[in-house]
Amino acid sequence: MSRYLFLLIIMGMLLAGCGSQVEDDRVNVDHRVGSDSLGDNIITRPFKYAISALLGQGIEITEVNDTLTPEGFLDVQMKGVNKAYGVKQFEYRTEWLDANGMVIPTKTSVWVPVSAMGKSEVTFRFIAPRKEAVDFRLNMRKKKN
Amino acid sequence: MKLKTLLCICLCVWVIGCSGPTTKNIDMVNDQGKAVMGLDYRDFDQAAAAMIDSLIRSGSLHKPGGGRYVMVTGGIVNDTMQRIDTDQLMAKVEQEMMNSGQVAMTSAMGDKAGASMVYETRDMRDSDRGDEFNEDTLPAKKQLIAPELSISGKIFQRNIKYDKKTQQVEYYFQLRITDLTTGLRFWQEEKVIGKRGSDKMVSW
Repeated sequence: MSRYLFLLIIMGMLLAGCGSQVEDDRVNVDHRVGSDSLGDNIITRPFKYAISALLGQGIEITEVNDTLTPEGFLDVQMKGVNKAYGVKQFEYRTEWLDANGMVIPTKTSVWVPVSAMGKSEVTFRFIAPRKEAVDFRLNMRKKKN
Repeated sequence: MKLKTLLCICLCVWVIGCSGPTTKNIDMVNDQGKAVMGLDYRDFDQAAAAMIDSLIRSGSLHKPGGGRYVMVTGGIVNDTMQRIDTDQLMAKVEQEMMNSGQVAMTSAMGDKAGASMVYETRDMRDSDRGDEFNEDTLPAKKQLIAPELSISGKIFQRNIKYDKKTQQVEYYFQLRITDLTTGLRFWQEEKVIGKRGSDKMVSW
Protein backbone atom coordinates (compact mmCIF):
# COMPACT_ATOMS: atom_id res chain seq x y z
CA MET A 1 0.00 0.00 0.00
CA SER A 2 2.79 2.37 0.98
CA ARG A 3 4.54 1.62 -2.36
CA TYR A 4 1.43 2.72 -4.29
CA LEU A 5 1.20 5.85 -2.19
CA PHE A 6 4.86 6.69 -2.94
CA LEU A 7 4.32 6.20 -6.69
CA LEU A 8 1.20 8.33 -6.53
CA ILE A 9 3.14 11.14 -4.85
CA ILE A 10 5.90 10.92 -7.49
CA MET A 11 3.35 10.98 -10.33
CA GLY A 12 1.61 13.93 -8.69
CA MET A 13 4.90 15.80 -8.45
CA LEU A 14 5.73 15.05 -12.09
CA LEU A 15 2.32 16.25 -13.24
CA ALA A 16 2.66 19.38 -11.15
CA GLY A 17 6.08 19.90 -12.73
CA CYS A 18 4.68 19.63 -16.23
CA GLY A 19 2.12 22.25 -15.40
CA SER A 20 4.54 24.74 -13.87
CA GLN A 21 5.43 27.67 -16.14
CA VAL A 22 8.24 30.19 -16.07
CA GLU A 23 6.68 33.63 -15.91
CA ASP A 24 8.69 34.98 -18.86
CA ASP A 25 9.64 32.42 -21.51
CA ARG A 26 12.63 34.53 -22.56
CA VAL A 27 14.29 33.62 -19.29
CA ASN A 28 15.67 30.16 -18.61
CA VAL A 29 16.91 29.43 -15.11
CA ASP A 30 19.11 26.41 -14.59
CA HIS A 31 17.85 24.08 -11.84
CA ARG A 32 21.07 24.58 -9.86
CA VAL A 33 20.31 28.30 -9.67
CA GLY A 34 16.55 28.48 -9.38
CA SER A 35 14.46 27.42 -6.39
CA ASP A 36 13.08 23.92 -6.18
CA SER A 37 9.36 23.54 -6.67
CA LEU A 38 6.85 20.79 -6.09
CA GLY A 39 7.37 19.53 -9.63
CA ASP A 40 11.07 20.21 -9.95
CA ASN A 41 13.14 19.10 -7.02
CA ILE A 42 15.85 16.67 -6.03
CA ILE A 43 13.37 13.76 -5.93
CA THR A 44 11.52 14.36 -9.20
CA ARG A 45 14.50 15.51 -11.27
CA PRO A 46 16.06 12.06 -11.89
CA PHE A 47 12.67 10.78 -13.08
CA LYS A 48 12.26 13.73 -15.42
CA TYR A 49 15.77 13.19 -16.80
CA ALA A 50 15.08 9.51 -17.31
CA ILE A 51 11.74 10.15 -19.04
CA SER A 52 13.36 12.80 -21.26
CA ALA A 53 16.14 10.38 -22.24
CA LEU A 54 13.57 7.61 -22.85
CA LEU A 55 11.56 9.88 -25.12
CA GLY A 56 14.78 10.78 -26.97
CA GLN A 57 14.22 14.48 -26.55
CA GLY A 58 16.68 16.80 -28.28
CA ILE A 59 16.90 19.87 -30.50
CA GLU A 60 13.90 20.97 -32.51
CA ILE A 61 14.14 23.85 -34.98
CA THR A 62 11.08 26.02 -34.54
CA GLU A 63 11.75 29.10 -36.65
CA VAL A 64 13.88 30.08 -39.64
CA ASN A 65 14.16 33.77 -40.50
CA ASP A 66 16.11 35.14 -43.42
CA THR A 67 16.69 38.68 -44.57
CA LEU A 68 18.97 40.56 -46.94
CA THR A 69 21.57 42.86 -45.39
CA PRO A 70 21.76 46.42 -46.79
CA GLU A 71 24.78 45.19 -48.81
CA GLY A 72 22.73 42.35 -50.33
CA PHE A 73 23.95 39.28 -48.40
CA LEU A 74 21.48 36.65 -47.23
CA ASP A 75 21.42 36.64 -43.42
CA VAL A 76 19.77 33.66 -41.74
CA GLN A 77 18.74 33.12 -38.13
CA MET A 78 17.58 29.77 -36.80
CA LYS A 79 15.67 29.40 -33.60
CA GLY A 80 15.20 26.10 -31.88
CA VAL A 81 14.54 24.57 -28.56
CA ASN A 82 16.45 21.97 -26.62
CA LYS A 83 13.73 19.73 -25.22
CA ALA A 84 16.20 17.58 -23.30
CA TYR A 85 17.19 18.31 -19.73
CA GLY A 86 20.90 18.16 -20.37
CA VAL A 87 23.13 20.41 -22.46
CA LYS A 88 23.07 19.44 -26.15
CA GLN A 89 26.15 20.09 -28.24
CA PHE A 90 25.78 19.93 -31.98
CA GLU A 91 27.36 21.25 -35.17
CA TYR A 92 25.80 22.69 -38.29
CA ARG A 93 27.14 23.13 -41.78
CA THR A 94 25.62 25.41 -44.38
CA GLU A 95 25.75 25.09 -48.15
CA TRP A 96 24.82 28.16 -50.16
CA LEU A 97 22.81 27.91 -53.35
CA ASP A 98 22.58 30.39 -56.20
CA ALA A 99 19.44 31.31 -58.18
CA ASN A 100 19.85 28.16 -60.32
CA GLY A 101 20.07 25.93 -57.25
CA MET A 102 23.80 25.36 -57.78
CA VAL A 103 26.03 25.03 -54.73
CA ILE A 104 28.42 27.94 -54.22
CA PRO A 105 31.73 26.60 -52.90
CA THR A 106 32.91 28.76 -50.03
CA LYS A 107 35.38 28.55 -47.15
CA THR A 108 32.55 29.24 -44.72
CA SER A 109 30.90 25.86 -45.38
CA VAL A 110 32.43 24.25 -42.31
CA TRP A 111 31.02 22.53 -39.25
CA VAL A 112 30.23 25.20 -36.68
CA PRO A 113 29.70 24.13 -33.04
CA VAL A 114 26.67 25.23 -31.02
CA SER A 115 25.81 24.46 -27.41
CA ALA A 116 22.27 24.60 -26.06
CA MET A 117 21.32 24.55 -22.40
CA GLY A 118 18.76 22.01 -21.26
CA LYS A 119 15.09 22.99 -21.67
CA SER A 120 16.11 26.21 -23.31
CA GLU A 121 15.78 28.09 -26.56
CA VAL A 122 18.80 28.23 -28.82
CA THR A 123 19.50 30.69 -31.63
CA PHE A 124 22.26 30.66 -34.19
CA ARG A 125 22.91 32.92 -37.11
CA PHE A 126 24.93 32.70 -40.31
CA ILE A 127 25.43 34.91 -43.33
CA ALA A 128 26.08 34.11 -46.99
CA PRO A 129 29.57 35.14 -48.06
CA ARG A 130 28.38 35.95 -51.62
CA LYS A 131 25.59 38.07 -52.99
CA GLU A 132 24.70 35.31 -55.48
CA ALA A 133 23.49 33.10 -52.62
CA VAL A 134 19.69 33.16 -52.54
CA ASP A 135 19.03 29.96 -50.63
CA PHE A 136 20.79 27.50 -48.36
CA ARG A 137 20.86 23.91 -47.19
CA LEU A 138 21.77 23.04 -43.62
CA ASN A 139 22.98 19.82 -42.04
CA MET A 140 23.21 19.20 -38.33
CA ARG A 141 25.11 16.51 -36.47
CA LYS A 142 26.06 15.61 -32.92
CA LYS A 143 29.27 17.26 -31.79
CA LYS A 144 32.08 14.88 -30.97
CA ASN A 145 34.57 16.22 -28.50
CA MET B 1 49.58 -30.38 -36.19
CA LYS B 2 47.36 -28.31 -33.96
CA LEU B 3 50.39 -26.69 -32.40
CA LYS B 4 51.70 -25.69 -35.84
CA THR B 5 48.36 -24.14 -36.79
CA LEU B 6 48.26 -22.25 -33.52
CA LEU B 7 51.80 -20.97 -34.02
CA CYS B 8 50.92 -19.90 -37.56
CA ILE B 9 47.88 -17.95 -36.32
CA CYS B 10 49.96 -16.32 -33.58
CA LEU B 11 52.60 -15.31 -36.14
CA CYS B 12 49.95 -13.77 -38.42
CA VAL B 13 48.42 -11.83 -35.53
CA TRP B 14 51.86 -10.60 -34.48
CA VAL B 15 52.72 -9.46 -38.02
CA ILE B 16 49.40 -7.62 -38.41
CA GLY B 17 49.75 -6.13 -34.92
CA CYS B 18 53.22 -4.81 -35.63
CA SER B 19 52.20 -3.14 -38.87
CA GLY B 20 50.52 -0.29 -36.89
CA PRO B 21 47.52 1.75 -37.94
CA THR B 22 46.86 1.89 -41.64
CA THR B 23 47.04 5.22 -43.47
CA LYS B 24 43.67 6.67 -44.37
CA ASN B 25 42.64 9.82 -46.18
CA ILE B 26 40.75 12.25 -43.95
CA ASP B 27 37.19 13.04 -44.96
CA MET B 28 37.80 16.79 -45.04
CA VAL B 29 34.08 17.61 -45.25
CA ASN B 30 32.63 15.34 -42.58
CA ASP B 31 35.66 14.63 -40.42
CA GLN B 32 34.62 13.43 -36.97
CA GLY B 33 38.11 12.65 -35.76
CA LYS B 34 39.19 13.30 -32.20
CA ALA B 35 40.27 16.77 -31.15
CA VAL B 36 43.99 17.41 -30.78
CA MET B 37 45.74 19.74 -28.35
CA GLY B 38 47.51 21.63 -31.11
CA LEU B 39 45.80 23.56 -33.88
CA ASP B 40 44.57 21.45 -36.77
CA TYR B 41 42.83 22.36 -40.03
CA ARG B 42 39.39 22.23 -38.37
CA ASP B 43 40.39 24.97 -35.94
CA PHE B 44 41.63 27.19 -38.76
CA ASP B 45 38.45 26.48 -40.78
CA GLN B 46 36.31 27.41 -37.79
CA ALA B 47 38.28 30.56 -36.98
CA ALA B 48 38.30 31.72 -40.62
CA ALA B 49 34.55 31.08 -41.00
CA ALA B 50 33.82 33.08 -37.83
CA MET B 51 36.01 35.96 -39.05
CA ILE B 52 34.38 36.04 -42.51
CA ASP B 53 30.90 35.85 -40.98
CA SER B 54 31.63 38.79 -38.67
CA LEU B 55 33.30 40.83 -41.40
CA ILE B 56 30.46 40.47 -43.89
CA ARG B 57 27.79 41.06 -41.27
CA SER B 58 29.51 44.24 -40.06
CA GLY B 59 29.12 45.90 -43.48
CA SER B 60 32.60 47.42 -43.04
CA LEU B 61 33.67 46.37 -46.51
CA HIS B 62 30.81 48.18 -48.21
CA LYS B 63 32.36 51.06 -50.12
CA PRO B 64 30.16 54.16 -50.25
CA GLY B 65 29.59 55.01 -53.89
CA GLY B 66 30.24 51.44 -55.01
CA GLY B 67 33.34 49.63 -56.20
CA ARG B 68 35.89 47.60 -54.29
CA TYR B 69 38.30 48.57 -51.57
CA VAL B 70 41.96 47.82 -52.24
CA MET B 71 43.39 45.96 -49.27
CA VAL B 72 46.86 44.89 -48.24
CA THR B 73 47.73 42.08 -45.85
CA GLY B 74 49.88 43.46 -43.07
CA GLY B 75 51.61 41.51 -40.35
CA ILE B 76 49.90 38.42 -38.98
CA VAL B 77 51.92 37.47 -35.92
CA ASN B 78 52.19 33.86 -34.82
CA ASP B 79 52.71 34.06 -31.07
CA THR B 80 51.88 30.42 -30.37
CA MET B 81 54.32 27.65 -29.49
CA GLN B 82 53.61 26.01 -32.83
CA ARG B 83 55.17 26.46 -36.22
CA ILE B 84 52.16 27.93 -37.98
CA ASP B 85 52.01 29.40 -41.44
CA THR B 86 49.53 32.22 -40.84
CA ASP B 87 48.30 31.75 -44.41
CA GLN B 88 46.36 28.77 -43.03
CA LEU B 89 44.02 31.44 -41.69
CA MET B 90 44.60 34.35 -44.03
CA ALA B 91 44.31 32.54 -47.37
CA LYS B 92 40.72 31.63 -46.48
CA VAL B 93 39.81 35.10 -45.19
CA GLU B 94 41.39 36.87 -48.19
CA GLN B 95 39.73 34.49 -50.65
CA GLU B 96 36.27 35.07 -49.22
CA MET B 97 36.76 38.84 -48.99
CA MET B 98 37.67 38.93 -52.67
CA ASN B 99 34.85 36.57 -53.65
CA SER B 100 32.36 38.75 -51.77
CA GLY B 101 32.95 41.34 -54.49
CA GLN B 102 33.84 44.05 -51.98
CA VAL B 103 37.62 43.86 -51.84
CA ALA B 104 40.58 43.55 -54.18
CA MET B 105 43.80 42.45 -52.48
CA THR B 106 47.05 44.00 -53.60
CA SER B 107 50.22 41.99 -54.11
CA ALA B 108 52.29 45.14 -54.56
CA MET B 109 52.74 45.64 -50.82
CA GLY B 110 52.78 43.62 -47.64
CA ASP B 111 53.40 39.92 -47.06
CA LYS B 112 52.63 38.82 -50.60
CA ALA B 113 54.79 41.42 -52.37
CA GLY B 114 57.94 39.31 -52.36
CA ALA B 115 56.69 36.40 -54.42
CA SER B 116 54.25 38.35 -56.57
CA MET B 117 56.81 39.31 -59.29
CA VAL B 118 55.40 42.87 -59.36
CA TYR B 119 58.80 44.47 -58.70
CA GLU B 120 60.82 41.85 -60.58
CA THR B 121 58.81 42.74 -63.71
CA ARG B 122 59.63 46.42 -63.21
CA ASP B 123 63.31 45.71 -62.49
CA MET B 124 63.42 43.72 -65.68
CA ARG B 125 61.68 46.52 -67.61
CA ASP B 126 64.36 48.97 -66.46
CA SER B 127 67.23 46.61 -67.22
CA ASP B 128 68.86 45.69 -70.53
CA ARG B 129 66.78 42.52 -70.62
CA GLY B 130 63.68 44.71 -70.97
CA ASP B 131 64.69 45.39 -74.58
CA GLU B 132 63.87 41.77 -75.36
CA PHE B 133 60.18 42.31 -74.60
CA ASN B 134 57.45 44.00 -76.58
CA GLU B 135 57.31 47.45 -75.00
CA ASP B 136 53.48 47.51 -75.03
CA THR B 137 53.33 44.42 -72.84
CA LEU B 138 55.52 45.89 -70.11
CA PRO B 139 53.86 47.76 -67.24
CA ALA B 140 54.17 51.53 -67.48
CA LYS B 141 55.22 53.61 -64.50
CA LYS B 142 52.66 54.83 -61.91
CA GLN B 143 50.22 52.00 -62.63
CA LEU B 144 50.16 50.41 -59.18
CA ILE B 145 47.13 51.13 -57.01
CA ALA B 146 47.84 52.04 -53.40
CA PRO B 147 45.84 50.15 -50.76
CA GLU B 148 43.04 51.88 -48.86
CA LEU B 149 42.70 49.28 -46.13
CA SER B 150 45.02 46.88 -44.35
CA ILE B 151 44.27 43.67 -42.51
CA SER B 152 46.54 42.59 -39.69
CA GLY B 153 46.31 40.33 -36.71
CA LYS B 154 47.73 37.89 -34.27
CA ILE B 155 47.35 34.27 -33.19
CA PHE B 156 48.46 33.58 -29.65
CA GLN B 157 48.33 30.78 -27.14
CA ARG B 158 47.92 30.48 -23.39
CA ASN B 159 48.67 27.27 -21.50
CA ILE B 160 46.98 26.88 -18.14
CA LYS B 161 47.28 24.10 -15.59
CA TYR B 162 43.71 22.93 -15.08
CA ASP B 163 44.35 20.27 -12.44
CA LYS B 164 47.05 17.73 -11.61
CA LYS B 165 46.59 15.72 -14.79
CA THR B 166 44.88 18.18 -17.10
CA GLN B 167 46.06 21.23 -18.98
CA GLN B 168 44.00 23.86 -20.75
CA VAL B 169 45.21 25.47 -23.93
CA GLU B 170 43.54 28.60 -25.26
CA TYR B 171 44.16 29.83 -28.79
CA TYR B 172 43.22 33.41 -29.65
CA PHE B 173 42.71 34.47 -33.26
CA GLN B 174 42.53 38.24 -33.68
CA LEU B 175 42.11 40.24 -36.90
CA ARG B 176 41.62 43.95 -37.49
CA ILE B 177 41.05 46.17 -40.53
CA THR B 178 42.47 49.68 -40.62
CA ASP B 179 41.70 52.55 -42.98
CA LEU B 180 45.16 53.58 -44.23
CA THR B 181 44.05 57.14 -45.06
CA THR B 182 42.70 58.05 -41.66
CA GLY B 183 44.33 55.41 -39.49
CA LEU B 184 40.92 54.52 -38.10
CA ARG B 185 40.11 50.93 -37.35
CA PHE B 186 37.07 49.73 -39.32
CA TRP B 187 36.56 46.30 -37.84
CA GLN B 188 38.09 43.82 -35.47
CA GLU B 189 37.19 40.36 -34.25
CA GLU B 190 38.48 37.74 -31.87
CA LYS B 191 37.75 34.03 -31.94
CA VAL B 192 38.88 31.84 -29.06
CA ILE B 193 39.31 28.08 -29.36
CA GLY B 194 39.86 26.25 -26.08
CA LYS B 195 41.09 22.71 -25.51
CA ARG B 196 41.42 20.66 -22.36
CA GLY B 197 43.40 17.45 -22.26
CA SER B 198 46.08 15.37 -20.68
CA ASP B 199 49.03 17.18 -19.20
CA LYS B 200 51.28 14.70 -21.01
CA MET B 201 50.14 15.95 -24.42
CA VAL B 202 52.35 18.59 -25.95
CA SER B 203 50.67 21.51 -27.67
CA TRP B 204 53.55 22.57 -29.88
